[in-house]
Amino acid sequence: MADSNQVDRNRDISPELETLEYQPDWPVPQVQNFVATANLDCRIDLYHLSQQARNVEYRPRRLAAVIMRIRDPRTTALIFASGKMVVIGAKSEALARLAARKHAYAVQKCGYKPKFLDFKIQNIVASVNVGFNVRLEGLANRYHAVGARYVPEIFPGLSFKQYLGNNADGSPRSSPTLLIFTSGKIVVTGAKTEDDVKVSFGRVYPLLFDFRFDSDPTSTTK
Amino acid sequence: MAASNSFYDLYRHGSLGTTLTDALDELIGDESIAPQLAMKVLTQFDRVVAETLQEKVKSRLTFKGSLDTYRFCDEVWTFLIRNVTFKMDGNQGQVVADKVKIVSCSAKRNDDK
Repeated sequence: MADSNQVDRNRDISPELETLEYQPDWPVPQVQNFVATANLDCRIDLYHLSQQARNVEYRPRRLAAVIMRIRDPRTTALIFASGKMVVIGAKSEALARLAARKHAYAVQKCGYKPKFLDFKIQNIVASVNVGFNVRLEGLANRYHAVGARYVPEIFPGLSFKQYLGNNADGSPRSSPTLLIFTSGKIVVTGAKTEDDVKVSFGRVYPLLFDFRFDSDPTSTTK
Repeated sequence: MAASNSFYDLYRHGSLGTTLTDALDELIGDESIAPQLAMKVLTQFDRVVAETLQEKVKSRLTFKGSLDTYRFCDEVWTFLIRNVTFKMDGNQGQVVADKVKIVSCSAKRNDDK
């Protein structure tokens, strides 16, 4: 019984799926949000920053960081006294980097001398609609051993964690999680590269067809 | 904003407050009143304005504009709004302004009931 709680990352349900390529007519997940971090490598007086910079909030008892927003790219940054920063809300990797630079520039205008070190995308969120309803219970039953979790009393979506193994140089790839809903809409989260998004979706998409169901054929909602 | 009295002193910066302060300064200059009395007057002013606005003023004002900048620091909100139209109760006409600065403190002070 203890074994059924362990996820066997190496076992595949079906050997063919290991080599199944992403088909061109398959739906493509659309990226929605990028989360990135950067290190400005300079100590910041948050109280001073919250008085000098524009479009900032600072509630020290709630969060030990200044919350700054810019309009283009429309993003929110959390800036810490250590000089480390989190940037949320960009729609692409390039925009995330640009936004981080703009936030750093805002800090610079307040009298600091920020650098721009260690910029890294930490998380990518994407969404996709497979276009058909999915029987989550059946899906969970079949793939529970490889990471599918479905507890409708807790959350209406099925979460399916994908383990992508390693890169060519041996470094570990991210482990994106897919949230699959009965409607056929899916959220991919936890990926660190856009390729990870596509690959993790590509692994799960073919598995869904066995659990496809069409509810009311006269219904006009998709 | 946290003064030795338990009411905000921000109303001293409005038209009424500055006029009162000027009048008191003049009286102090003439040596008609002591500076401590002027302080007491202003403290009383803080309390009266706060209470009157809270209890006696019922009219409403709405305004629309574009938010230029915002800031929240020390529990004080500061907004800078552009191209603002103010509307009073009903269609009594409206007032427009290019730039409006709003400084706002919490209605609940942490030392109050």
